[in-house]
Amino acid sequence: MQTFKIAASIVVALLLQILFAKRFSFFQYVELPLVITVFFSLQRSPIQGMFVGMAAGLGLDIVSGGDAIGVRGFSFTLLGYVIAMGSIRFSLEQKPVRILVTAVASIANTVLFVGLCKVLEKNVLTNGPDELLKLALYKAIGDTAAGLILFILLDRIFPRTGSTTIKRRFYE
Amino acid sequence: MSTNTAQHKAPLLLGLLLLLQVLLMSWNARTQAGDQSVLRAWVMAVITPVAKGTGWTIDRVTGFFDGFAELRHARDENVQLKIEIERLTQERDEAVEKAAVKNNLEAELGLRLLPRFRSLAASVVSRNIAVWFRRLTIDRGSMDGIKKDMPVLTSSGIVGRVIEVGPNSSFVQLITDRYAGVGAMLQQSREMGEIRGQENSRCEMKAVAASVDVQVGDKIITTGLDGIYPKGLPVGTVESVENDANAPWKKILVKPSAPVDRVEHVFVLLIEPKDLKALEAFK
Repeated sequence: MQTFKIAASIVVALLLQILFAKRFSFFQYVELPLVITVFFSLQRSPIQGMFVGMAAGLGLDIVSGGDAIGVRGFSFTLLGYVIAMGSIRFSLEQKPVRILVTAVASIANTVLFVGLCKVLEKNVLTNGPDELLKLALYKAIGDTAAGLILFILLDRIFPRTGSTTIKRRFYE
Repeated sequence: MSTNTAQHKAPLLLGLLLLLQVLLMSWNARTQAGDQSVLRAWVMAVITPVAKGTGWTIDRVTGFFDGFAELRHARDENVQLKIEIERLTQERDEAVEKAAVKNNLEAELGLRLLPRFRSLAASVVSRNIAVWFRRLTIDRGSMDGIKKDMPVLTSSGIVGRVIEVGPNSSFVQLITDRYAGVGAMLQQSREMGEIRGQENSRCEMKAVAASVDVQVGDKIITTGLDGIYPKGLPVGTVESVENDANAPWKKILVKPSAPVDRVEHVFVLLIEPKDLKALEAFK
């Protein structure tokens, strides 16, 4: 049931991304699937973080119409793992810390995405480091704002259980 | 598998998943340009009708409430529209007369008339999902006869070109994308240049010599020389012109004629680059 709910969350996030980006131009700076990846990665399961990241990233690669399918899949998978490992070793469940993690994940994702696109010689709309920095900041603000709202909603749908504490003990 | 075993296998699994993504990127790069990869075609075949249906429902609900608000202005708007209809009818009559004269002159001079292009209406499913590209997704694909590089436009001007085709959806690169190029010319002076996408939903007309007289408000149309867009389609109007004493070219900022960032419905001209070449030969 939990797996089904997570899969449904990813599909809904992709659908909302499509619908909102069409109606609100500022939504191009938001990646809801990334916020979903951060949320599930913070549940201290690297395997869950990786698979959610892969599904969400690939989904966004497919629907966004970008030239390179797999770039966000790669980036989100890596971020899902790193965030999940970080959440096992450090206490990241407080709300302000989660928001900070979202902002850092957003910037890391931007750098990874643009870097991979450059390696693959795919065209992305950046013209030098200044513009990349500007876009990374806008995206960090957009993703963080989306996280503020989405985390409240997801906390209600996926309440925290004792299992997250158990997972942490295995690593300590 | 216990939690402990699973967690210790996580780095290995990470490596495998990342390798899978790399293989996917490589496989995708080998897909023939213009066709959607199998993975994308399958996902888009499912998600396009769902997104279209959901969007339609949202539009109906919001439209219902907007309708009440708009009723208050209906009477004034009605008067304005009647005046507008009178003006447009007069303009249409003049245009019909001019077209008849033009056709007669062409027939007398022995010029061969150009064929009209067939077009297909399409709805926009999504727009600029990510900040990295200027793209539209439309609800028409190869099953409707859409092919790569077909021009996409509205009644007011060109929007872009089809870059990837799936069974029931296609991706369109907007003319405001920095990597899009359109062969264009100033309608009055017939001076040619190249249209390139810029930030903030604008384009830049490049390669126009500094000596050319360009005014704000000048209309820009397609040249037909880029092998994508037929000649004479509206591209945009000149919004600003800058002269740089050190550069041989003018810096011309262009506002697209079509509302590329708000467009809901478009037309796809069912014409391929090879048809355009044949047309040039025909002319």
